[in-house]
Amino acid sequence: MTASSLLMDKQACFLLKTNFAPCTILQLTRYDLTQLESQLHATIQRTPHFFMGSPVIIDLEKVRQLGPLNFTKMKDILLANQLVPIGVRNGSEEQQCDAATYGLPTLTIGRLSHGETGSHSSQKKETHPRTHQTKLVSTPIRSGMQVYAKDGDLVVTAPVSVGAELLADGHIHVYGPLRGRAIAGVQGNTDARIFCSLLEAELVSIAGYYLTKEEMPLLDKTQSVIQIFLEKEKIKIEPIL
Amino acid sequence: MAKIIVVTSGKGGVGKTTTSASFAVGLANRGYKTAVIDFDIGLRNLDLIMGCERRVVYDFVNVIRGEANLNQALIRDKHAKELFILPASQTRDKDALTLEGVAKVLDELGNTFDYIVCDSPAGIERGAQLAMYFADYAVVVTNPEVSSVRDSDRMLGLLSSKTKRAEEGREPITEHLLLTRYSPKRVTNGDMLSINDVNEILAIPLLGVIPESQAVLRASNSGEPVILDQKSDAGQAYADTIARFLGEQLPHRFIEEKSHWLKRIFSLKEKETV
Repeated sequence: MTASSLLMDKQACFLLKTNFAPCTILQLTRYDLTQLESQLHATIQRTPHFFMGSPVIIDLEKVRQLGPLNFTKMKDILLANQLVPIGVRNGSEEQQCDAATYGLPTLTIGRLSHGETGSHSSQKKETHPRTHQTKLVSTPIRSGMQVYAKDGDLVVTAPVSVGAELLADGHIHVYGPLRGRAIAGVQGNTDARIFCSLLEAELVSIAGYYLTKEEMPLLDKTQSVIQIFLEKEKIKIEPIL
Repeated sequence: MAKIIVVTSGKGGVGKTTTSASFAVGLANRGYKTAVIDFDIGLRNLDLIMGCERRVVYDFVNVIRGEANLNQALIRDKHAKELFILPASQTRDKDALTLEGVAKVLDELGNTFDYIVCDSPAGIERGAQLAMYFADYAVVVTNPEVSSVRDSDRMLGLLSSKTKRAEEGREPITEHLLLTRYSPKRVTNGDMLSINDVNEILAIPLLGVIPESQAVLRASNSGEPVILDQKSDAGQAYADTIARFLGEQLPHRFIEEKSHWLKRIFSLKEKETV
């Protein structure tokens, strides 16, 4: 035996670690195994390599009222189409027990559905509501600097220079000249808004929609606070009277 | 401990070395023991402006690498008794500077000097970041034109985040704005940004305004820092700048357009007729 293999023997042969891997959700809109098979087949045909061997969670929210389901058949259909079912979620208690006996445990990775009630209420309490932390910056944000308010609003009480970048998942407020870029609703919140006292921004963006300086309307500089928001997929810039 | 001043700008050719030289001479002439360090490794210039290029034996990099000690490398200035110059190396590049090396040199100088002036290279790379890292004061040299102002803004951002004071969460670096190559006539014509324009963007206290002047080029070529030319407007403006840095309250000069003597006579006549 070599020294290294001796060393190996003393170490544990496995470690348990928690991990959240990205996973595809297959949401059943209705229980029709024949259609499931044909639709799945067509989808896989279009992009054969994309799904190859992907782990899949079956979401039963829309079919939870239906009572017992044929999980053996469902598994076979998925496996035949190169998808690997690893569990179910949002089913009725009976369905979930049933699925577990076929090797499909109940998984709650990702967002729980809104329809969650009854037996799952205890689990629901464990998922904390998002805390909306507001980030406050009171020093000038200079060219080349980037400030990101994750999961919340950003308030700046100093000038924002050309070449600086403000990002927030929520609203952005600037109490000083805004000359850089302001990007609100970074993660797609279309209700996010930008408020500022002097708009000279290079670019404003809400949930991916944007306006460059060139496209912005000319505003009277003496005007009061300005708000920028999304209306029918168009960015609107208006003074608050 | 010595107070460390970094002279920086981001953009090249705006007057960092000219300012470093005049600043150092100005402080030394007021009786403060001052050292001025050229951080522009590979593009050594300060020795020329200070007129000591023929006396360079060892340099900053030699000291960092332990090939010479500080006393061997420091050059005594011929204009001011209390002033010493630590030249840059011309044969190396900016990667020859290390954080530990710079810390060691500044520490050693700090024991005996009152002020250390760090002449930063242009750009935002290693050399510039090391020049500002240990600073207590920053003199941001800016020309009244848009690209220089934007680069200065970037430097101010780095000063507030990439320096020792910022990293340790201590009181931030004291920032001063120095406007150089200012031409009141071109401001009136609308060709140049005005003091107010620059101030609106950078929003830091204005330490001084150095007018565009023939004297600066003349001084550089002759190796006599322009502050010594007290007949020139630029020399006087630098002297005012030093006074303000040391806490004196002085009005800014050379920021209004000089009117022609004929014009002045006419305006007097107009007043009489009124």
